[in-house]
Amino acid sequence: MNEPILMTDNLRKAFGDNEAVKGVSFSVLRGEIFSLLGPNGAGKTTTISMLSCLLEPTSGTAVIGGHSITNDNLRVRELIGIVPQEIALYDELTARQNLVFWGQMYNLSGKALKARIDEVLEQVNLTDRANDRVGTFSGGMKRRINIAAGLLHKPQLLFMDEPTVGIDPQSRRRILDMVKELRDQGMTVLYTTHYMEEAEELSDRVGIIDHGELIAVGTQAELTKTIGQQETLRLHLGEGFTGEEQVHLFEDLPGVLAVTALNGEVALSVTEAEEALPGAISRANGAGVPVRTIDIEEPNLEAVFLHLTGRALRD
Amino acid sequence: MLQKIFAMIWKDTIVRFSNKSELLFFLILPVVFTALMGGILTPEPDVDARVPLLLVNEDSSALAASLQDALAQSDTVQVQEMALAEAETAFTDEEAAALLLIPAGFGEAVMAGETAVLDLRQQPNNSDGDAAGEAVRTAVSAISQPVAAARSAVEEAESHRAFASVAARDVFFASSLEMAQDLLQDTPERIVLTQPESSNVDVDDYDPAAQSSAGQLVTWVFIPLLGVSAFLAYERTQGTLRRLLTTPTRKATFLLGSISSNYVQALVQMAILVAFGVFVMKVNWGQSLPALAVLLLAFGLAAVAFGVMLGTFVKTTNQASNLSIMLGMVMALLGGCWWPAELFPPAMQTAVKILPTAWVMQGMTDLIRRGQGLAGILPEAGVLLGFAVVFFVLGVWRFRFE
Ligand SMILES: Nc1ncnc2c1ncn2[C@@H]1O[C@H](COP(=O)(O)OP(=O)(O)OP(=O)(O)O)[C@@H](O)[C@H]1O
Ligand SMILES: [Mg+2]
Repeated sequence: MNEPILMTDNLRKAFGDNEAVKGVSFSVLRGEIFSLLGPNGAGKTTTISMLSCLLEPTSGTAVIGGHSITNDNLRVRELIGIVPQEIALYDELTARQNLVFWGQMYNLSGKALKARIDEVLEQVNLTDRANDRVGTFSGGMKRRINIAAGLLHKPQLLFMDEPTVGIDPQSRRRILDMVKELRDQGMTVLYTTHYMEEAEELSDRVGIIDHGELIAVGTQAELTKTIGQQETLRLHLGEGFTGEEQVHLFEDLPGVLAVTALNGEVALSVTEAEEALPGAISRANGAGVPVRTIDIEEPNLEAVFLHLTGRALRD
Repeated sequence: MLQKIFAMIWKDTIVRFSNKSELLFFLILPVVFTALMGGILTPEPDVDARVPLLLVNEDSSALAASLQDALAQSDTVQVQEMALAEAETAFTDEEAAALLLIPAGFGEAVMAGETAVLDLRQQPNNSDGDAAGEAVRTAVSAISQPVAAARSAVEEAESHRAFASVAARDVFFASSLEMAQDLLQDTPERIVLTQPESSNVDVDDYDPAAQSSAGQLVTWVFIPLLGVSAFLAYERTQGTLRRLLTTPTRKATFLLGSISSNYVQALVQMAILVAFGVFVMKVNWGQSLPALAVLLLAFGLAAVAFGVMLGTFVKTTNQASNLSIMLGMVMALLGGCWWPAELFPPAMQTAVKILPTAWVMQGMTDLIRRGQGLAGILPEAGVLLGFAVVFFVLGVWRFRFE
């Protein structure tokens, strides 16, 4: 469990002037779910692309299962499985035909392949739709076949790049449960997401990535400890709240460490919520902005992100 | 690696034919166009399927009469005997595809062993005219065998003793001819004789149906083969190429698989179209099946390689399909698939030599019209393979995997 299956060393990728990944170093331990948590454009997909031998790093390297991704990539590709962010399937083929094809690309064939396909179809709960064309599937069903195709060869390390984007809550639930099952069966998962709740629910360890830099790595307990006994005071404001421009209303309140505004909501990072609350309400009222609801949140990954970047994780 | 290539052929075939309109390009359009261009669909005005042949017989000899008999027995032509003036009017009005004039003195000339002249006129570029010409040649050769035998009998007799009169000589010839004809009918093996004497009949071997079948085959195989570019674009835009490159599959295997699947599909298509030509259109694809196969195989490679090269320029599937259809059509037209390249101005005939379609059509013409064998098309096949190598190198070298 404590032995790393993946170690990256100062991995860097630049697209022209745009440095998408600015030298990240982390390791993933055998049997764990490791999440890369970061907002859009943080460099999650670029990192995964380098690790799965699709993109050549501008500099730095990584070792997977003892094989270098730059010098020994055919061996690496046998060890890893991929669930790409974009669904990568043939719409014209049925679910089963897609899996037969992808299985063969992993050097599986014959009875073994057929048996394995039945297994993964069961796992993603699509046995009854196996002979329908993928083009006729809903977004959630496509995502599940997209996952199944990455599982066929029982990879030691599975990369899942935002596998729940844009789907209904039920499919999402099913996918999250499946990821945990896979871990319980002994698979190592590198999971990327920009949803804090997913990272919190799934991860043994989390890496927070922003603007191509890995700004924190650790278990959730370790990460929240870095921000001390910080809490988040979330005020849902009514008409008259103009967002960014009124952030200054709250900035100089005693005990407030950082303020962000989003969609009629303002989030204050505070040392003690009860202490900051009366001040915040009277500031809002003073500006003629009604306070609709108030939430007080325990320290979480969102707060960690806010603390480290001064920005909210969500869009 | 072989297993993966088979998997790709299987997958590409399903992807391609899941779109039913693909059958249109694969089979329906080629067959319809071949039939249209080859003239099969033009309605026959006559219930009698035989081709009308205007016959003017100005010779009263026994030989002219047996030629007329032989023609009357033909399955190909339906003889309509009339006077010259009448026949010429009918021919000018294109009421018949061919006119045969047996001039006075024909039998005399044959008997004397001189060159006997038959006047055969055919409507230009008309397959019925060609068929009539063929029937006339068959009839001529049928009578010329006994004629040669009878004439040698006359010569033999004359060497012993001269005939009393020309009339006596004629009678002897006629009875010899009759005897020779009877003998020939009874003898299963043909007696090999010298060339027919009346061989000034110039029959052009140009078969428009064969030529247009070949042109249509090339056109309709060429366009989908350029479509390999659309397949490559599809894999890129669909994200499947990216996924594929994370599996333990080499880039070379991917390219080889995509090329093979399009190539194999093209081979099947070519086989179907050749069979359609042979069995339905009854066209003549030349004497040598190996030569035809080599030429088509080489052409397929050049075309698919050209498609791979196109694949490096295009971004989307639509772009690729449109470009393939447009380029394919233009190259087919310029290459002489829709009308013989001989009709182009000379400068253009030289210019189109940069197109693989021009070379395959030249090879087809060698096979179909000139009856050449494998050796005859090797230069064309060689040039096509050269095209294939150049296009493959450019295409693979410039190929974008992202
Ligand atoms: N092929 C490419 N060419 C140029 N720039 C790229 C390319 N791929 C990614 N980038 C840039 O690299 C940066 C990181 O992108 P990346 O896709 O890795 O982010 P991400 O964390 O996966 O975001 P998201 O959550 O939206 O998927 C972005 O600024 C993006 O524009
Ligand atoms: Mg991404």
